[in-house]
This record gives sequence, structure tokens and C-alpha cells, in this order.
Amino acid sequence: MDLTRLILAILFFGALVGIYIFLFLKNRRTPKPAGCENLKADCDGCKDIYCPNHPKEES
Amino acid sequence: MFSELVALLITSVLLNNAVLNQFLGLCPFMGVSRKKSSALGMGMAVVFVIVAAGLVTYALYYLVLVPLKLEFMDLVTFILVIASLVQLTEMFLKKSSPALYKSLGVYLPLITTNCVVLNVCLVNISNGYDIPHMLVYTVGTPLGFALVLYIFSAIRERLEVADVPESFKGNPVALVVAGLMAMAFSGLAGII
Repeated sequence: MDLTRLILAILFFGALVGIYIFLFLKNRRTPKPAGCENLKADCDGCKDIYCPNHPKEES
Repeated sequence: MFSELVALLITSVLLNNAVLNQFLGLCPFMGVSRKKSSALGMGMAVVFVIVAAGLVTYALYYLVLVPLKLEFMDLVTFILVIASLVQLTEMFLKKSSPALYKSLGVYLPLITTNCVVLNVCLVNISNGYDIPHMLVYTVGTPLGFALVLYIFSAIRERLEVADVPESFKGNPVALVVAGLMAMAFSGLAGII
């Protein structure tokens, strides 16, 4: 792979990550509509504990 | 051409179903299928995100990655595009349509990790679909997912009140049902 393509790839990847971070922060700062503050996904399927919808075990 | 597109639609919805034939998207299939209302919300959100992601990734691949000879970056590009698209959709729904956000928005974060979305984007490229085939496949696959999810949730609702042996209650009997559904769907293979 030549240097130009490598630089293009890095720039393209950086741009995509930048767009994602920008949208993530914008979405986080956007207030939820009234009545939607405590919505839950009603999901009890997989055991992915890092998923934001994973029901936390009560202790 | 038209008959080919119809065949592709039937194949992507029924015969080559993402859940029952390719075993993709099993996490939401098991997790969000206890109630019909939840399954319907999740199904609609998946249809919306897959259609949007399919169109954007297809355009990005042929308009940016191919001219720049960066085709090897398709996987990482598609993952980031899907994640960004989910954030954008959630933000848009929060601002523009609180009612739609109430029914769909809560399922959007779950879709980021739904492998059906990535599969559709990758298959559109790897199979070399032209635009009509891409559109049909991109719409058909999530429709098949939503259909199976809704049928499964309807069965699970009835299973809640059914007389199931103690050791089979909950997920075990749901998995047996999923297996029976997969066999039933494979029986449709003769229609094409």
C-alpha cells in the first residue's frame, strides 16, 4: 500500500470517528421529550453486561 | 428482471430469513419478544435503521471507498456509519416526534449491535447488487426479521399461559419454538 492511500485511509477513519463522537455528544445533550425520561427497553435477552439496556441485578 | 426482484424479495423475507436461516439478530429475537407491542416497536425500528444504513453504506462504498481504492475499509466504515446513523436517528426522533420516540427510540441503542444491520450492508457489496436488487434486499431482510419477531412474540405470549413442564418454562420452550419455526420456514423452500 502506498503512502497516499495510507494517509487517505487514516484521514477517512478519523473523519468517521469524529462524526460519530460529534453525533454521540449531540444526542446525549438533546433532552428527551416529556414523558420519555424513564423508558426501558423491556429486553431480558442476552448476557451482554455492557449493553446500556442490560437489566442491572438488584443487590 | 421483475421476476428476479420478486424472487429476491421472497427469498430475503421468508426463505433466507435473517433469524431462522442465517441465525443473525438472535439477541433481540430472544430479548424483545415477550410482548407483541415490544416486538412491533423493535421490528419497526429495525426496518427503519436497516433501510437507512443500507442506502448510506451502499452510496458511501461506491462513491467514496471505490474511487479512493479504500475498499478494504468497508467493515470498519459500515460499523461507524451504522453507529452514527443510530445516534442521528435517535436525536431526530427526540426533537421532531416524541410519540415515535416513545415507541421506537428506546430500541434504537439495541440496534447498533444488531448483526442483521451489518450483514445487509456487507451482502449488498459482496453480492455485487445493482441499485434495484440492493433496494429489494435492503427492504426485504428487515421485513423478514420483523415478521418472524412478531410471530415469535405472539407465540411466546400464549406460552406464558400454556401448561408447560416446569423445566421447559421460559427460554427453553422459546428455543424449541424457534427451532420449530425454522423448520416450518425451511418448508417454504419449494415456492421459488
